[in-house]
Formats: sequence, C-alpha cells, structure tokens
Amino acid sequence: MSDDTKVMIGLEIHAYLGTKSKLFCSCATEATLPNSACCPICLGHPGAKPVLNEVAVELGTKVGLALNCTINKDFFFSRKTYFYPDMSSNYQITQYEVPLAQKGELILPGGKKVRIRRAHLEWDPAALVHPSGMGKSSYVLIDYNRSGLPLIEIVTEPDLSTPAEAREFMNMLENILNYLKVLKPSTTLKVDCNISINGGNRTEIKNVSGFAAVEKALSYELARQKQEVKSGKKIEQHTRAFNAELGTTIELRKKETEEDYGYIFDPDLVKVSLSDDFLIKAKAELPELPEQKAQRLQKQFGLNEYDARVICSDLVLGKLFDSIVAKKGDAVVTARLLTREVLAVLNHDSLSWADIVIKPEDLLELVLLISAGKVSDKNAKQSLINYISGDKSSPKNYLEKNNMLISTSVDLDSIITKVINANRKAVVDYAAGNEKSLNFLAGLVMRETKGTASPKSVLEELKKKLS
Amino acid sequence: MVKREETIAFFVEQAKEDFSLVEKNLAGVITEIKNSNAKKLNYIEEFDAADVLRQVAELKKAKYKGKLFGVPVTVKDAICVKGVESKAGSKILRGYKPLFDANVIERARAEGAIILAKTTQDEFGFGTFATHTEKVPKNPFNNERSCGGSSGGAAGFTAFTKNFHVAIGESTGGSIACPASFCAGVGITPTYGLVSRYGLIDYANSLDKIGTIGKNVEDAALLLEVIAGYDARDSTSLDNGFKRDEAPIKRIALIKDFFEGCDSEVKKVVQDKIKELKKFYEVEEVSLPLNVKYALAAYYIIATCEASTNLAKLSGLRYGVQGNVEGKHFDDYFSEIRSKEFSDEAKRRIILGTFARMSGFRDAYYLKAMRVRTKLINEFNNAFKRYDLLLNPTMPTVAPKFSDIEKLTPLQNFAMDLCTVPANLAGLPHISVNAGFVNGLPVGIMAIAAHLQEKRLYSFAKVVEA
Repeated sequence: MSDDTKVMIGLEIHAYLGTKSKLFCSCATEATLPNSACCPICLGHPGAKPVLNEVAVELGTKVGLALNCTINKDFFFSRKTYFYPDMSSNYQITQYEVPLAQKGELILPGGKKVRIRRAHLEWDPAALVHPSGMGKSSYVLIDYNRSGLPLIEIVTEPDLSTPAEAREFMNMLENILNYLKVLKPSTTLKVDCNISINGGNRTEIKNVSGFAAVEKALSYELARQKQEVKSGKKIEQHTRAFNAELGTTIELRKKETEEDYGYIFDPDLVKVSLSDDFLIKAKAELPELPEQKAQRLQKQFGLNEYDARVICSDLVLGKLFDSIVAKKGDAVVTARLLTREVLAVLNHDSLSWADIVIKPEDLLELVLLISAGKVSDKNAKQSLINYISGDKSSPKNYLEKNNMLISTSVDLDSIITKVINANRKAVVDYAAGNEKSLNFLAGLVMRETKGTASPKSVLEELKKKLS
Repeated sequence: MVKREETIAFFVEQAKEDFSLVEKNLAGVITEIKNSNAKKLNYIEEFDAADVLRQVAELKKAKYKGKLFGVPVTVKDAICVKGVESKAGSKILRGYKPLFDANVIERARAEGAIILAKTTQDEFGFGTFATHTEKVPKNPFNNERSCGGSSGGAAGFTAFTKNFHVAIGESTGGSIACPASFCAGVGITPTYGLVSRYGLIDYANSLDKIGTIGKNVEDAALLLEVIAGYDARDSTSLDNGFKRDEAPIKRIALIKDFFEGCDSEVKKVVQDKIKELKKFYEVEEVSLPLNVKYALAAYYIIATCEASTNLAKLSGLRYGVQGNVEGKHFDDYFSEIRSKEFSDEAKRRIILGTFARMSGFRDAYYLKAMRVRTKLINEFNNAFKRYDLLLNPTMPTVAPKFSDIEKLTPLQNFAMDLCTVPANLAGLPHISVNAGFVNGLPVGIMAIAAHLQEKRLYSFAKVVEA
C-alpha cells in the first residue's frame, strides 16, 4: 500500500469437518445420489431430535488447540432462526454465547500476529440446486444430503491489513487444518470477508471459495471503498457477493445485526462439559504442526530456514520429504530438489498435487544420483519436467535412456583437446590470467558431453591440459 | 376405593391366560369410539379399525406377553406414531404421517399395548381448555363444559370409557394435571427427562414432558413404568426409570399461596381431603412467594420463545399442508401457508415468543426468564429440604363452561395455569388425583415431589384414592 489508508480485514472461515456421520444425526456425510443421505432429523421432521456427534467435538477441539485458542470446557448450542428454503428447521443449530474455542492467534511467516476471535460448531443447511443455472431456472431443487453436515466456523479479529495478507493467512490456516487431518476430503474452505477502511463501516463479502478469489474480492472491494470515500460517499454496513468471473463484488442486502436472528439456547441439546481427560487426550493426539516441524527440520537435518518453511507449508510436500529422507535420501539435497525444482514445475504448469502422481521412490533415485554427483542440475530438472508433465517415466530411467548421466567412461580427453583446438583465443586469455576464459571453455566441454561429465572433473582436466 | 379387579394390571394377568378377554375389551372400546354420541364428544382424532385389528392379530402370535398385554392405549396427537397422522391438534400438520414411532410408543408396543388412536388436544398444546383446535373434546361429566387442556381428549376418553384403557398425555405447563383434574382421572407428569421426548412434536422442548392419564393410580403408574427410561435419541433423557414401589412420606406442606386464588368450593373439597390425610402425615403450610409472583411470566416467555422457533419449520414445504408454490417467492409462500393454517392462539404465541428473543428485548425477557427459572427451582428445592411433598388444588375452578371460556381474555386464560405452571417450569414430578366433587364436577388435588421422587407421588396418591 503506497497510500496511508488504514485497512482492516477480518475473515470468517467455514470448514467441513471430516466426520463419518453428520453433526446431529447418524446420516453418512458422503453420498452420491441426491437426497439419499437424510433422515427425519436432518430433514427437520416434527418429533425428531438432534443428538450431538462427539467426533465433531473432538475434531473441533483440535482445531481450537492448533489455533492457540482457549477451549471452553462447558459450552452449548443455540438456535439461529431465519426462514430460508435450504434450512430444514428454519433455524440453524450453532453456537452463540459460548463457542467451543476462543481467543487464539496465528503468527504469519513475516511475524504478523492474527488474533482468532472464536471457533464454533454448527450444522450446514441443505444445498439449493438451480437446474439450469442461478437466475435462469424457473425452479430450485433442494438436496438434503448436505443438511446437517458438521462445519467449524473460524472467525478472526480484523487484524489483516492487505488482501495479500488475507491470502497468506488462508494458506497458513488451510495447511494447519490439513496437518490436523480434520477436514472432510475434497471440500474447500468458504470464506466471508469483512473489510473496512479508515475506521469506517465494514462490508462483508459472502461465501468466497478459493484463496486467490479471497485476495481478488478483497482487492476489488478495497478499491471500491476507496473510490466511494474519495467521491464523498459514506460506506454503509452491508453484505456483498463476489462474482468470480468478473472479479467484482455486488451489493446483496443491508446487513442484519447478529441479534436479529433471535438466538435461544437449543433446548433439545444439553450443555456439553468436556472432561480433563478429553482435553489431555486431544492435546496428546495433536500431530506435529507445520511450525514445529519446520523448527525440527532445521535442527535435525541442518536445513536452512527457507527450505524448512517451504517444506512444511504444504502437507504433501512435507510427506514427500519425510519418505525420501526415511529411505536415506540426503535431507539437504531432497529439500533443495523439492522446494526449487518440484515446486517450480508445478507452478510453471499450474498443477496441483491432485493432478499428478509422484512416487517418493522415484524421487529418491534422483536424489541419490544428485548426491553422488552423477547428474547435472540441468539434467535433473529436465528429468523432473518429463516425470511430472512429460511421458512420466521415472527420472532415473529418463536420464539413463537419454544418456544424460555423468559417466566416467566419457572420452573427456579427446573432447577437451577438440575444444582447446577450436578456441585458441580463450586459451591465450587464460594463460594471460583471465579465469573467466577457463569457465567459458569448461562450459563448451560440458555442452559437448551433454552434461554427462561431472563439472568438477572437467575443470580439473582442463587445468591439467592448459598448464 | 379402587378394587384390584378394576386395574389394568389385573386385566393383563387374566388376558395373558385368556386372549378372548383382550378381544372382548377391545370390542367394547371400539363400540364406544364408534358410538355416534361419543363421536360428538370429540375425544378421538381419526380411528383406523383395520390398523387396530392388525395389531391384535400380531399380539395373538406374540411369544412375550408384556406388562400392557392387550391393553388399548390412546396417544395424545402430538406424539408420533409411525404411519398415523400426527398433527398435534393443528391444521398445518394435516397429513403428516411420521416415518417413526416415538420412543414411548416403541416401549408401549414392546410391552404388548395396542395403540388405539390419537386423542384430541389444543393446537401444539397451546391452551388450558382444549378449545384451541378444530375438534374440541367435551367433558364426560357435563358436555357443556371443557375437559381441560391441553391433553383434553386423553382425559375425556379415560373418564368416558367403561373398559380397560390408559392414555399417554403430555404436559408443558399443566396439560396433564389440568384435564385429569377436570375429568376425575389420575394424571402423572414425571420429572423432566424421565420419559424420552423422541417423537414428541415440540411445544417448548425444555418444558415438555410425556406422562400418563389413567382411571386410577395403579393404571397411570403402570404406564409410566413402561414408558420411562433412557433413550439415546433424546439428549435430555435420564436413565433413572420408574418402578411402582412405595416410598415413605412423613411431612407434607400445603402451598398456601396457591390456595388463595381458588374458588371457595374447590378449596373446601381439597381442604376436607387434607383433613383426612392428617392421620397419615404431618401437614404444614409453606409459602412460595417467588413462584407465585414470577412463575407464570417466566413460563410464558420461555415457552413461547421455544415454541416460536419450533413452529418455524412448519411452512408447507415437506410435510403437512401443501400449497401451490408456482410463481411465488418462498417468503410469500411461507407467509401464505402460516397465515392460513395457524390458529390465532398459535400466532399469538409465535409473535410473543419471537418478540421476547429479539435484539433489544432478549436480555430483558428471554435471558431474564431463564435466570428467574433457576431461582424458582431453588425455591422449590429449599421447600423439599423440609417436606416430602407439596400440595395444592390442581385447578382453581371446576371445569368451566365453553360459553364462559369464550369470555376470558388471553391473560385470564393464562392465569388459570397458576397452580400447575410452577412445578412444570421447575421440571418437578407431580400427580393430580381426584379429591371430590362440586355439584357433580370433579376437583383434583395435586402433589409435587422433588426431582425423580415419583415413588412418593405414587404412594401418596394411593392413599388419597383409598
């Protein structure tokens, strides 16, 4: 930010918890056919009663602990009443006065502290299905498979100051949730983004999916608010929607204040009291979290801070590292390969882990070759590109097939002689004390060997010949 | 004096040996239901004879002969019976046939009961006289008068039938004790949580209690023994259960504040009864000033707040009444159905309850009422440190005429619940048993015990009955 606009951004993140059954009934959380996983409870049939899924409490507690929150040992559920066709009871069972967890914090890599206001459990409404697209259908179908899925809502304080920081926070949060293994597979985080400038009213952008979209929506909204203020208008508190295609936000409705939902304690559910044993167990079961792991990798393997952090910023990358190193791959070489080369290929081709197959044993072979000085950096990279987005043969096979490994059998002597004879000027320059000329000649030799000679031996042999 | 031969327990013993007794008793009940005069008395919602006969056929083959073997049991409309229209006396739930049996129905069936029919009630339990519904039950002692509410059909039919039968009722603020009193039955409202609410169409979940109405103490207690017990599908369920054992009672107290607002004739009947009891117990007086002053207000705030959220789901979408949705915004459709199908009383309670939990009023009404409730429970608990039971007239009057009920304002209507509401608000078990009559109309005496002390109520009521 080049100007001195004071920006406050707070996020409300909804994540699906990875339980087998729904939050208040025994219906499965996975189903293929619409309306095949529902029962009188999640359909809101008169007479049916909710019963709390304890696994959801366990998972939620772990989230709270990982976000450095205080866990409320005694909490309860409330009814948030509003009429909407996707809400089977026309009230949502959620937590109001006392959430499961509150008052936590996360520290961004740059040292910025983001306070977590609360994390609470609630059930998801059903899904509205617009058969021929939103706004175009003359009717809407309701799929109750989603009704009653367990959500955890994580609310930050408005401590974020740029859209990019918001994205960074989301990456960090998602990584922690992945490490905790608490998320429902193949679901995304949905974010409500709140933003205000210079202490003015905030606007809320509802239901943004994807972290790039979070940054985009906030950037657009920030520019819009600035423009409004510049033209002398006052920002009214209201709710907006993000149009991902256009990258713009549009006004939805004036924001109701929280209390208009007429919260009451849900009298079908009893107060939950977590035992000391439950909390001790939840703490003990917390896995090593990204930050802790990064510290350990530095200590244990001598990785530099950057590599250690990058390795731990992504659960899959971290796992790859672990399994290669467990098979005796050199840690520093492995870290370099993963953080520089593998990520570079992924970024370049805009691929995600889900799009590709990477076997640790294939990478291990490459790491061993690199450690043994049997492959040049350039060829190693080439073999990776082929492995990830080429014909997918293992790096080692690829290198062997294409004679790209550094080999002792290469006739280095005759190649060097050939290069020296063809570049007399460089030879003379070197004799006159120009070290660069040696590198120039070595490069030519390397090119002639197609990278199959080790740079070290090329330099040694060259020096011998020229002396 | 109730003879052993008049009890269901006796009937069941005989029926286990001779199935024709089951058939004979049932034939008698069915004749009563189908009798055109009885139909006008409006105790029963719909009667499905084929369903009853199917149950009898199955029962005949049953290997296990349970505690209610062959006993016809009626069920308050608010309690779900699988495949049977269950609408809690409302119009908006017309056609709702639950996919499941309520826990109490499962338990009754498991002990050999025949689920006979649904009984009429005030819409969602909203009333003291069972008049807030389309089918208004008439008092068997005088057809110009109310059965009491909201479990009016249950108490009315219990008094009306000459055969063996027992009724499942439900009380939120007095809906078992009141009609039991007006119809000379025995009504037991258990401790909150003793009987599972799974399958009960909610009025106010933190107050709703399924209980029993019988012709005598033994019958009502036997049914309670069957339906009480832990149920994992109701988070508020307790695992204490109930057994018909005697419990010692030494000291009892009259709640003198509750006598003050009662008709003098009613008061006299109850006081005469208490004079008889003095040879069995030490009788003193106690005052519950907080309950007298605040119980009704706290009750109506909490009950309507909860009710207004419970009724939100009733909007003509997936069950009950369906309208034409074509071309309508959902808000308009919901409003149309709800405007048309809820009675004025339901609308009154929705509006009151919604108001009391809205921003700006929530602290002053809903949250305050919840805090007051705790104080009122404490006042009772203090009294129970000194007394085994507390007594009061169940209702301040005998069953009123329909023509007089029409003249009551809503507030006068609510005030009729003064004696029954405090125990209900505190979740305390209580029983109403007949104490005598005024001009041929029954008067009930109500005993309240500490939480889970149902055995004291049972022991006491047997003495009153004798």
